[in-house]
Amino acid sequence: MKWYRSLKTTMNGWTILSILIVSFVILPNLSILVQFFSEPNENWLHIREYMLQSYIQNTLILIVFVGFFTLMIGTSLAWIISAYDFPMRKFFQWGLILPLAIPPYIGAYTYHGILNYTGTIQTTLRNQFDVTVNQDYFNIMNMPGAIFIFTLFLFPYVFTITKAYLARQSTGLIENARILGSSSWRIYFQVVLPISRAAIVAGVSLVILEVLNDYGVVKYYGIQTFTTAIFQTWFGMGDLQSAVKLSGTLMIIVVGLLILERVMRGRKRFSFTTTKVKLLQPVQLKGRQKWLAFSYCMFIFLIAFIIPIIQLLQWAFYTYEQFFATEFLGLIINSVSVAFIASTIIVVMAIIISNFARLNRGMLAKTFPKVTIIGYSIPGAVIAVGVVTLFTSVDRQLFGFYEWLGLEPTLIMSTSIFMLVFAYVIRYLAVAYNSIESGFDRIGTNFTEASRMLGMSVTKSFFKVDMKLIRGAIFGGFILAFIDIMKELPLTLILRPFNFDTLATKAFQYASDEMIHQAAIPSIFIVVVSGIAIYVFHHVLEKE
Amino acid sequence: MLKSRFTLLAFIILIAGLVLAACNNSEDESDGEGNDEEEEVNIYTSRHYDLDDEIYAEFTEETGIEVNIINGSADELIERMEREGEASEADLFFTADAGRLHRAKEQELLQAIESDTVMENVPEKLRDVDSQWVGLTKRARIIAYHPDRVDEEELSTYEALADPEWEDRVLIRSSENVYNQSLLASFIEIYGEDISRMWAEGIVQNLARTPQGGDRDQASAVVAGEGDVAILNTYYLGGMLNSADEEEVNVAEQLEIFFPNQETTGTHINVSGIGLARHSNNVDNAVELIEYLSGEGVQDQFASANYEYPVNENVEPADVLQEWGDFEEQDINLSILGENNADAVRMFNEVGWQ
Repeated sequence: MKWYRSLKTTMNGWTILSILIVSFVILPNLSILVQFFSEPNENWLHIREYMLQSYIQNTLILIVFVGFFTLMIGTSLAWIISAYDFPMRKFFQWGLILPLAIPPYIGAYTYHGILNYTGTIQTTLRNQFDVTVNQDYFNIMNMPGAIFIFTLFLFPYVFTITKAYLARQSTGLIENARILGSSSWRIYFQVVLPISRAAIVAGVSLVILEVLNDYGVVKYYGIQTFTTAIFQTWFGMGDLQSAVKLSGTLMIIVVGLLILERVMRGRKRFSFTTTKVKLLQPVQLKGRQKWLAFSYCMFIFLIAFIIPIIQLLQWAFYTYEQFFATEFLGLIINSVSVAFIASTIIVVMAIIISNFARLNRGMLAKTFPKVTIIGYSIPGAVIAVGVVTLFTSVDRQLFGFYEWLGLEPTLIMSTSIFMLVFAYVIRYLAVAYNSIESGFDRIGTNFTEASRMLGMSVTKSFFKVDMKLIRGAIFGGFILAFIDIMKELPLTLILRPFNFDTLATKAFQYASDEMIHQAAIPSIFIVVVSGIAIYVFHHVLEKE
Repeated sequence: MLKSRFTLLAFIILIAGLVLAACNNSEDESDGEGNDEEEEVNIYTSRHYDLDDEIYAEFTEETGIEVNIINGSADELIERMEREGEASEADLFFTADAGRLHRAKEQELLQAIESDTVMENVPEKLRDVDSQWVGLTKRARIIAYHPDRVDEEELSTYEALADPEWEDRVLIRSSENVYNQSLLASFIEIYGEDISRMWAEGIVQNLARTPQGGDRDQASAVVAGEGDVAILNTYYLGGMLNSADEEEVNVAEQLEIFFPNQETTGTHINVSGIGLARHSNNVDNAVELIEYLSGEGVQDQFASANYEYPVNENVEPADVLQEWGDFEEQDINLSILGENNADAVRMFNEVGWQ
């Protein structure tokens, strides 16, 4: 009887749905994961001997530095903007998310374009002042350059999640610290950083996963990382099996790191227990401090957004005829509609799993969140292979059914947009999940428990209590997923139906063949659409 | 409890409905009139030039056959075709490297193209031995140099660039790039493994900087003085000479072109080529398109817009290319590039060519 009762208490809609979602995520990856346990072959030995050591070294340098810089920039900006008032603060609240709208590989091409021999800076120096500079000073295509690019275009992950957290954080802790006379620095290091740990971890881990997954920037800048090894094995040696072993290794490292963080955090939890959700009141800055805060935000905004955009506009000017030749309206509609549909599904799924994981104990509740990360830690192209395998086999199973419906027994599912949306969901579930989980983490379970005690069901408690408290985190997760999908490449390229182009695929097609001028217009559109999304959602949040 | 679960269920159904709606939508778009009898041909392509789209549109206008496209990197497309198996919708596979075409053939994804027209249009050397794929445009991997710092007399062969006198002067992109892989693959065929390995080692010794950027970046780096010679593909220089950016034109104009190995084994060439998918449902239409693409009209367009060499011998290359003059090509069947690809990649790793 006992097991039955425990089953009855845990087996509700949330559990069933969570199990369903998790199996959705695992299913296409199974065909991939199985290969992880295959026998090492000759290629594998070659990889181990010649590639792994230096590639792992490069990867570590990259993630440690990018992680550190995005953490410092992201949290300091979030703190300054949440706690102080200074000129243009309102704008920076959303303006500093904008760099996320520029795909890092486009940023990499753009900065190289600004700095290289034929770029604006050197050309001006040469033609106007007759100065020829040492190329080494202007070379961005190296490790520090890659760290610079990733930091600039990825820090908003940390910024957004931390800011959402600070704005509604138990303002009490910070105000108490202020009353007790702590200096700003001290509050930042001793209060803000420790209490927002969950948010910071969520943000930084997104950054790190994004870096691990990148192929565009490191390939163009000639830096050999783990991803390079994966692709060289797959494409260069035609050995998908060893490539999958590599991604598996990568995934295990990532999941290991996340678990380690959990363990280290131990039982330290900072959730507020009062009902007074007070917004942090920004302190008006005066004099030099005011301008210092402003300049810091402005500086980051300039280098991470304005400068690359100006360069893109200049290139767009070279190729303006293309604007009339291409049907950009169609591309925009394609990009926006798939991104919107997929991110909505992602958010719903992320809510279900995180709510389940938070309210339950036991193996399932502990492992499910880790599963969401699978899609984000395997390179997109590898996921694509898993998804195609799954869908074609489903299609084959359904041939009979198609005929019964009077259709031709061909590939229907796997040539439809459904496959692409499905792949996006697997890939970006972690993005929304991390944001929503940190939201849940902040409110703890006290309110839900109270609500349950008062006789409401889990579902009712969720809609009536929890959802209202974490609305910011939900919107945050939605925006991040939306923008990510707007920029997404490998999945879109390989899984899309015939003749289905998006802004990102257009931009990439040109950029990959060194036609960077032609890539400018679609890139600008990506930025504009994502920018509008960021602006709209920011205002929705403000209104609350 | 029941009611709230119901709400959740309703929500999920709503979302599922949305997705389905999106599916239908896109199918309407891709199928045009949604008519089964409509003639069509489906291409998986890794080429992405605006010109290609224009050519397909003209083809549709002339023949009434709709051309549907999926774009992707060559390797991903091969993988997709492999996974789709017999049910694959692909009729043609179009990519910019003979090595990749050969890989598709080896994985049994292609079938023989039966068309006398195509065989007439494309010289034997640029076709697969079993005619499973044919080259459509040709590109040469040449040496570009700065005339102030290098005398043409100093240049002779690819191999010579591995000599000690070129230390710190050679520029070439990463070994990840398939054009470099095919270059080394051709050497493995011509000279054997040992000499090829020595060549790769020598080049690594002589590199002016760690490989970075694309072919155009190598050209800029020569002009900027980072190195004296660069190994790159012809059409990138063609593109730079005709760029909207004055500075790029400026860079390209300062460089001179040298076709290496003219006295010995010939300059390395590669092709953009097209293969007929084994499980194609529209073989006739597909062959008709290949005939069209290898015909004089389209070959002329390829040549003039993209600075590639036409494969059809009745067509003249673009003016820029003609100025560079004729040259002797490596005399190997291009399938070899695919056969030796994996060996080339391994060799690059072993000698530490990044």
